[in-house]
Amino acid sequence: MTVGVPDTGTAADVQERAAIAELLLSLADDEFVIGYWDSEWTGIAPFLEEDVAISSLAQDELGHARAFYELLAELIGGSADTIAYGRQPDDYRHARLLDRRRTDWAFTIARRYLYETSDSIRLAALEHTTFEPLAGLVAKIRREERYHLMHLDLWLRRLAVPGSVGRARLEAALATLWAVAGSVFSPLEREADLLRAGVLDAPFSELFSRWCAAVGPVFDELGLPFEPRQPARDGRGPGHGPDFQWLWTELSSVYRSDPGATW
Amino acid sequence: MSKARAPRGPILPPPSEGGRAFEVFRQERDGEPMRHAGNVLAPDPELALHYARELFGRRQESLRLWVVPREEILDLDDPDLLQPPLDRSFKKPGGYVMRDKLAAARARAGHEEEPA
Repeated sequence: MTVGVPDTGTAADVQERAAIAELLLSLADDEFVIGYWDSEWTGIAPFLEEDVAISSLAQDELGHARAFYELLAELIGGSADTIAYGRQPDDYRHARLLDRRRTDWAFTIARRYLYETSDSIRLAALEHTTFEPLAGLVAKIRREERYHLMHLDLWLRRLAVPGSVGRARLEAALATLWAVAGSVFSPLEREADLLRAGVLDAPFSELFSRWCAAVGPVFDELGLPFEPRQPARDGRGPGHGPDFQWLWTELSSVYRSDPGATW
Repeated sequence: MSKARAPRGPILPPPSEGGRAFEVFRQERDGEPMRHAGNVLAPDPELALHYARELFGRRQESLRLWVVPREEILDLDDPDLLQPPLDRSFKKPGGYVMRDKLAAARARAGHEEEPA
Protein backbone atom coordinates (compact mmCIF):
# COMPACT_ATOMS: atom_id res chain seq x y z
CA MET A 1 0.00 0.00 0.00
CA THR A 2 0.96 3.63 -0.34
CA VAL A 3 -0.11 6.27 2.10
CA GLY A 4 -3.01 8.48 1.03
CA VAL A 5 -5.29 10.93 2.77
CA PRO A 6 -9.13 10.80 2.62
CA ASP A 7 -10.37 13.89 0.76
CA THR A 8 -13.14 14.94 3.16
CA GLY A 9 -13.59 18.48 4.55
CA THR A 10 -12.49 21.74 3.01
CA ALA A 11 -9.57 21.97 0.63
CA ALA A 12 -7.50 23.54 3.42
CA ASP A 13 -8.33 20.66 5.77
CA VAL A 14 -7.31 18.10 3.19
CA GLN A 15 -4.08 19.96 2.49
CA GLU A 16 -3.24 20.23 6.17
CA ARG A 17 -4.02 16.57 6.83
CA ALA A 18 -1.83 15.52 3.93
CA ALA A 19 1.02 17.61 5.32
CA ILE A 20 0.59 16.13 8.80
CA ALA A 21 0.49 12.64 7.32
CA GLU A 22 3.75 13.27 5.49
CA LEU A 23 5.35 14.51 8.71
CA LEU A 24 4.05 11.59 10.80
CA LEU A 25 5.27 9.09 8.23
CA SER A 26 8.78 10.59 8.27
CA LEU A 27 8.85 10.52 12.10
CA ALA A 28 7.53 6.97 12.26
CA ASP A 29 9.78 5.56 9.54
CA ASP A 30 12.89 7.11 11.09
CA GLU A 31 12.19 5.51 14.47
CA PHE A 32 11.11 2.24 12.89
CA VAL A 33 14.22 1.81 10.75
CA ILE A 34 16.79 2.85 13.39
CA GLY A 35 14.97 0.58 15.82
CA TYR A 36 15.33 -2.38 13.47
CA TRP A 37 18.96 -1.65 12.60
CA ASP A 38 20.07 -1.38 16.20
CA SER A 39 18.12 -4.44 17.27
CA GLU A 40 20.59 -6.29 15.03
CA TRP A 41 23.03 -5.98 17.97
CA THR A 42 20.97 -8.17 20.25
CA GLY A 43 23.19 -11.06 21.31
CA ILE A 44 26.40 -9.68 19.79
CA ALA A 45 26.93 -6.26 21.42
CA PRO A 46 30.41 -5.58 22.90
CA PHE A 47 29.42 -6.91 26.34
CA LEU A 48 26.39 -8.24 28.12
CA GLU A 49 25.21 -5.06 29.85
CA GLU A 50 25.51 -3.05 26.64
CA ASP A 51 23.67 -5.80 24.80
CA VAL A 52 20.70 -5.21 27.10
CA ALA A 53 21.07 -1.44 26.80
CA ILE A 54 21.25 -1.19 23.00
CA SER A 55 18.42 -3.70 22.61
CA SER A 56 16.30 -1.71 25.04
CA LEU A 57 17.02 1.52 23.15
CA ALA A 58 16.10 -0.15 19.88
CA GLN A 59 12.88 -1.40 21.43
CA ASP A 60 12.05 2.12 22.65
CA GLU A 61 12.34 3.38 19.06
CA LEU A 62 9.98 0.70 17.80
CA GLY A 63 7.56 1.78 20.54
CA HIS A 64 7.77 5.39 19.35
CA ALA A 65 7.32 4.26 15.75
CA ARG A 66 4.20 2.34 16.73
CA ALA A 67 2.74 5.42 18.43
CA PHE A 68 3.40 7.59 15.34
CA TYR A 69 1.99 4.93 12.99
CA GLU A 70 -1.14 4.72 15.17
CA LEU A 71 -1.64 8.49 14.94
CA LEU A 72 -1.17 8.24 11.20
CA ALA A 73 -3.66 5.39 10.96
CA GLU A 74 -6.26 7.50 12.77
CA LEU A 75 -5.67 10.26 10.27
CA ILE A 76 -5.64 8.28 7.02
CA GLY A 77 -7.30 4.96 7.89
CA GLY A 78 -5.75 1.50 7.94
CA SER A 79 -3.76 0.19 10.89
CA ALA A 80 -0.32 0.80 12.34
CA ASP A 81 0.72 -2.70 11.21
CA THR A 82 -0.35 -2.32 7.60
CA ILE A 83 1.43 1.02 7.35
CA ALA A 84 4.57 -0.27 9.07
CA TYR A 85 4.88 -3.59 7.27
CA GLY A 86 2.62 -3.46 4.22
CA ARG A 87 4.63 -1.11 2.03
CA GLN A 88 7.31 -1.60 -0.61
CA PRO A 89 10.86 -0.41 0.18
CA ASP A 90 10.51 2.68 -2.02
CA ASP A 91 7.46 3.82 -0.04
CA TYR A 92 9.43 4.25 3.19
CA ARG A 93 10.32 7.85 4.09
CA HIS A 94 13.14 7.46 6.59
CA ALA A 95 16.15 9.74 6.24
CA ARG A 96 19.17 8.77 4.13
CA LEU A 97 21.19 8.64 7.36
CA LEU A 98 19.32 5.45 8.21
CA ASP A 99 19.78 3.60 4.93
CA ARG A 100 22.94 1.73 5.88
CA ARG A 101 23.33 -1.40 8.00
CA ARG A 102 24.61 -1.34 11.57
CA THR A 103 28.22 -2.02 10.39
CA ASP A 104 30.63 -1.93 13.39
CA TRP A 105 30.04 -0.58 16.89
CA ALA A 106 31.70 2.78 16.15
CA PHE A 107 29.47 3.25 13.09
CA THR A 108 26.38 2.37 15.11
CA ILE A 109 27.33 4.88 17.81
CA ALA A 110 28.33 7.61 15.34
CA ARG A 111 25.16 7.22 13.30
CA ARG A 112 22.97 6.91 16.35
CA TYR A 113 24.52 10.01 17.92
CA LEU A 114 23.81 12.05 14.78
CA TYR A 115 20.29 10.66 14.69
CA GLU A 116 19.43 11.12 18.38
CA THR A 117 20.63 14.71 18.44
CA SER A 118 18.73 15.49 15.22
CA ASP A 119 15.60 13.82 16.55
CA SER A 120 15.87 15.82 19.75
CA ILE A 121 15.97 19.15 17.84
CA ARG A 122 13.04 18.01 15.69
CA LEU A 123 10.93 16.91 18.68
CA ALA A 124 11.62 20.22 20.42
CA ALA A 125 10.26 21.98 17.32
CA LEU A 126 7.06 19.94 17.66
CA GLU A 127 6.56 20.55 21.37
CA HIS A 128 3.98 23.30 20.82
CA THR A 129 2.47 21.83 17.68
CA THR A 130 -1.12 22.81 16.94
CA PHE A 131 -1.89 19.18 16.08
CA GLU A 132 -3.03 18.18 19.57
CA PRO A 133 -2.61 14.39 19.42
CA LEU A 134 1.00 14.86 18.35
CA ALA A 135 1.74 17.40 21.12
CA GLY A 136 0.83 14.90 23.83
CA LEU A 137 2.84 12.12 22.24
CA VAL A 138 5.91 14.28 21.66
CA ALA A 139 5.98 15.31 25.32
CA LYS A 140 6.08 11.64 26.39
CA ILE A 141 8.65 10.62 23.79
CA ARG A 142 10.96 13.48 24.75
CA ARG A 143 11.10 12.17 28.31
CA GLU A 144 12.33 8.79 27.03
CA GLU A 145 14.74 10.32 24.53
CA ARG A 146 16.55 12.14 27.34
CA TYR A 147 18.11 8.86 28.37
CA HIS A 148 18.95 7.95 24.76
CA LEU A 149 20.86 11.21 24.41
CA MET A 150 22.72 10.60 27.68
CA HIS A 151 23.71 7.11 26.60
CA LEU A 152 24.89 8.12 23.13
CA ASP A 153 26.77 11.16 24.40
CA LEU A 154 28.58 8.94 26.86
CA TRP A 155 29.55 6.41 24.17
CA LEU A 156 30.66 9.06 21.68
CA ARG A 157 33.01 10.49 24.31
CA ARG A 158 34.41 7.08 25.19
CA LEU A 159 35.10 6.16 21.58
CA ALA A 160 36.68 9.58 20.95
CA VAL A 161 39.52 9.02 23.43
CA PRO A 162 42.63 10.09 21.47
CA GLY A 163 44.93 7.34 20.29
CA SER A 164 42.43 4.53 20.87
CA VAL A 165 41.15 1.96 18.39
CA GLY A 166 37.71 3.38 19.10
CA ARG A 167 38.84 6.82 17.95
CA ALA A 168 40.18 5.48 14.65
CA ARG A 169 36.98 3.56 13.98
CA LEU A 170 34.82 6.50 15.02
CA GLU A 171 36.65 8.82 12.63
CA ALA A 172 36.33 6.30 9.81
CA ALA A 173 32.60 5.92 10.46
CA LEU A 174 31.98 9.68 10.64
CA ALA A 175 33.86 10.20 7.37
CA THR A 176 31.32 8.01 5.60
CA LEU A 177 28.37 9.71 7.32
CA TRP A 178 28.81 13.44 6.73
CA ALA A 179 27.13 13.32 3.33
CA VAL A 180 23.88 12.18 4.95
CA ALA A 181 24.41 13.42 8.53
CA GLY A 182 21.81 16.20 8.28
CA SER A 183 19.26 14.24 6.27
CA VAL A 184 16.76 14.04 9.14
CA PHE A 185 16.22 17.73 8.29
CA SER A 186 15.53 17.15 4.60
CA PRO A 187 12.70 19.52 3.69
CA LEU A 188 9.30 17.86 3.37
CA GLU A 189 7.24 18.40 0.24
CA ARG A 190 4.37 19.92 2.22
CA GLU A 191 6.47 21.75 4.77
CA ALA A 192 4.88 25.14 3.93
CA ASP A 193 1.48 23.78 4.97
CA LEU A 194 2.91 22.54 8.28
CA LEU A 195 4.39 25.95 9.02
CA ARG A 196 1.21 27.80 8.02
CA ALA A 197 -0.89 25.61 10.32
CA GLY A 198 1.57 25.90 13.21
CA VAL A 199 2.21 22.16 13.26
CA LEU A 200 5.95 22.74 13.05
CA ASP A 201 7.62 25.80 14.61
CA ALA A 202 10.34 26.43 11.98
CA PRO A 203 11.42 25.22 8.51
CA PHE A 204 13.70 22.18 8.44
CA SER A 205 16.53 24.35 7.10
CA GLU A 206 16.27 26.36 10.35
CA LEU A 207 16.15 23.15 12.43
CA PHE A 208 19.30 22.01 10.64
CA SER A 209 21.02 25.26 11.71
CA ARG A 210 19.84 24.74 15.31
CA TRP A 211 21.27 21.22 15.21
CA CYS A 212 24.64 22.43 13.89
CA ALA A 213 24.75 25.07 16.64
CA ALA A 214 23.97 22.48 19.31
CA VAL A 215 26.16 19.60 18.14
CA GLY A 216 29.11 21.33 16.43
CA PRO A 217 30.62 22.44 19.78
CA VAL A 218 30.65 18.82 21.05
CA PHE A 219 32.70 17.73 18.05
CA ASP A 220 35.00 20.74 18.51
CA GLU A 221 35.47 19.80 22.14
CA LEU A 222 36.43 16.25 21.14
CA GLY A 223 38.71 17.47 18.34
CA LEU A 224 36.58 15.69 15.74
CA PRO A 225 35.65 17.25 12.39
CA PHE A 226 32.04 18.39 12.01
CA GLU A 227 31.17 18.50 8.32
CA PRO A 228 27.46 17.94 7.68
CA ARG A 229 26.08 19.16 4.36
CA GLN A 230 22.94 21.23 3.95
CA PRO A 231 20.24 18.52 3.61
CA ALA A 232 18.90 17.89 0.13
CA ARG A 233 15.22 17.87 -0.77
CA ASP A 234 15.39 14.22 -1.84
CA GLY A 235 16.76 13.07 1.54
CA ARG A 236 13.84 10.71 2.20
CA GLY A 237 12.54 9.55 -1.15
CA PRO A 238 12.79 6.26 -3.06
CA GLY A 239 16.20 4.68 -3.58
CA HIS A 240 17.14 3.59 -0.07
CA GLY A 241 19.74 1.19 -1.43
CA PRO A 242 20.69 -2.48 -1.00
CA ASP A 243 21.18 -2.45 2.81
CA PHE A 244 17.64 -1.23 3.42
CA GLN A 245 16.33 -3.62 0.77
CA TRP A 246 17.84 -6.45 2.86
CA LEU A 247 16.43 -5.04 6.11
CA TRP A 248 12.97 -4.66 4.58
CA THR A 249 13.03 -8.28 3.42
CA GLU A 250 13.84 -9.31 7.00
CA LEU A 251 11.47 -7.06 8.90
CA SER A 252 8.48 -7.62 6.62
CA SER A 253 8.94 -11.37 6.10
CA VAL A 254 6.40 -12.45 8.72
CA TYR A 255 3.87 -9.86 7.63
CA ARG A 256 4.22 -10.83 3.97
CA SER A 257 3.79 -14.52 4.75
CA ASP A 258 0.14 -13.81 5.63
CA PRO A 259 -0.78 -10.13 5.21
CA GLY A 260 -4.35 -10.48 6.50
CA ALA A 261 -3.44 -12.35 9.68
CA THR A 262 -4.63 -11.04 13.04
CA TRP A 263 -2.73 -11.62 16.25
CA MET B 1 22.26 -23.54 67.74
CA SER B 2 25.07 -22.13 65.68
CA LYS B 3 27.41 -23.99 63.40
CA ALA B 4 31.09 -23.20 63.24
CA ARG B 5 31.95 -21.93 59.77
CA ALA B 6 35.08 -20.95 57.98
CA PRO B 7 35.31 -17.41 56.56
CA ARG B 8 33.50 -17.49 53.22
CA GLY B 9 35.45 -15.07 51.11
CA PRO B 10 33.84 -12.85 48.49
CA ILE B 11 30.31 -13.76 47.39
CA LEU B 12 31.26 -13.38 43.73
CA PRO B 13 34.66 -13.69 42.15
CA PRO B 14 36.33 -10.40 41.20
CA PRO B 15 35.27 -9.12 37.77
CA SER B 16 37.40 -9.98 34.80
CA GLU B 17 38.44 -7.43 32.22
CA GLY B 18 34.75 -6.78 31.46
CA GLY B 19 34.91 -3.90 33.93
CA ARG B 20 34.30 -3.09 37.58
CA ALA B 21 31.50 -4.68 39.54
CA PHE B 22 28.77 -2.45 40.90
CA GLU B 23 26.08 -3.58 43.30
CA VAL B 24 22.59 -2.27 42.62
CA PHE B 25 19.89 -1.53 45.18
CA ARG B 26 16.37 -0.57 44.23
CA GLN B 27 13.29 0.91 45.81
CA GLU B 28 10.11 -0.53 44.41
CA ARG B 29 7.48 1.66 46.06
CA ASP B 30 7.38 4.91 47.98
CA GLY B 31 8.33 4.39 51.62
CA GLU B 32 9.85 0.96 51.07
CA PRO B 33 13.49 0.28 51.92
CA MET B 34 16.22 -0.03 49.32
CA ARG B 35 16.75 -3.73 48.64
CA HIS B 36 19.62 -5.44 46.91
CA ALA B 37 18.64 -6.11 43.29
CA GLY B 38 21.79 -7.58 41.76
CA ASN B 39 24.91 -6.27 40.09
CA VAL B 40 26.34 -5.03 36.82
CA LEU B 41 29.78 -4.93 35.27
CA ALA B 42 30.75 -1.61 33.73
CA PRO B 43 33.94 0.21 32.77
CA ASP B 44 33.05 3.24 34.94
CA PRO B 45 30.40 4.60 37.33
CA GLU B 46 28.52 6.56 34.67
CA LEU B 47 27.97 3.50 32.48
CA ALA B 48 27.18 1.47 35.60
CA LEU B 49 24.30 3.83 36.29
CA HIS B 50 23.00 3.39 32.74
CA TYR B 51 23.26 -0.39 32.94
CA ALA B 52 21.57 -0.46 36.34
CA ARG B 53 18.76 1.53 34.77
CA GLU B 54 18.52 -0.96 31.90
CA LEU B 55 18.67 -4.09 34.04
CA PHE B 56 16.64 -3.00 37.06
CA GLY B 57 14.57 -0.03 35.93
CA ARG B 58 13.60 -0.15 32.28
CA ARG B 59 10.21 -1.73 32.97
CA GLN B 60 9.13 0.95 35.45
CA GLU B 61 9.78 -1.49 38.31
CA SER B 62 11.90 0.92 40.36
CA LEU B 63 11.41 4.39 41.83
CA ARG B 64 15.05 4.79 42.82
CA LEU B 65 18.34 2.99 42.31
CA TRP B 66 21.55 3.06 44.32
CA VAL B 67 24.63 1.93 42.44
CA VAL B 68 27.67 1.20 44.57
CA PRO B 69 31.16 0.12 43.48
CA ARG B 70 31.56 -3.33 45.01
CA GLU B 71 34.98 -2.51 46.45
CA GLU B 72 33.40 0.36 48.44
CA ILE B 73 31.21 -2.07 50.36
CA LEU B 74 32.58 -2.93 53.82
CA ASP B 75 32.28 -6.69 53.94
CA LEU B 76 32.05 -8.45 57.29
CA ASP B 77 31.58 -12.20 57.40
CA ASP B 78 33.91 -13.17 60.27
CA PRO B 79 32.23 -16.08 62.10
CA ASP B 80 33.90 -15.14 65.40
CA LEU B 81 32.03 -11.83 65.25
CA LEU B 82 28.79 -12.93 63.65
CA GLN B 83 28.32 -16.59 64.56
CA PRO B 84 30.13 -17.11 67.92
CA PRO B 85 29.99 -20.67 69.24
CA LEU B 86 28.56 -20.13 72.76
CA ASP B 87 24.86 -19.99 73.58
CA ARG B 88 23.51 -16.54 72.68
CA SER B 89 19.87 -17.22 73.43
CA PHE B 90 19.94 -14.69 76.31
CA LYS B 91 20.55 -11.94 73.71
CA LYS B 92 17.36 -12.77 71.87
CA PRO B 93 14.01 -11.34 72.96
CA GLY B 94 12.59 -14.86 73.17
CA GLY B 95 15.65 -16.18 75.00
CA TYR B 96 14.19 -16.52 78.50
CA VAL B 97 11.07 -18.44 79.36
CA MET B 98 9.57 -15.82 81.63
CA ARG B 99 6.16 -17.20 82.56
CA ASP B 100 7.17 -19.56 85.38
CA LYS B 101 9.60 -17.05 86.86
CA LEU B 102 6.94 -14.35 86.80
CA ALA B 103 4.42 -16.67 88.48
CA ALA B 104 6.90 -17.55 91.22
CA ALA B 105 7.74 -13.91 91.80
CA ARG B 106 4.07 -12.99 92.09
CA ALA B 107 3.45 -15.85 94.53
CA ARG B 108 6.30 -14.64 96.69
CA ALA B 109 4.85 -11.18 96.67
CA GLY B 110 1.45 -12.52 97.73
CA HIS B 111 -0.40 -11.77 94.53
CA GLU B 112 -2.84 -14.11 92.94
CA GLU B 113 -1.61 -15.71 89.81
CA GLU B 114 -3.10 -14.14 86.77
CA PRO B 115 -5.07 -16.44 84.51
CA ALA B 116 -2.92 -17.82 81.75
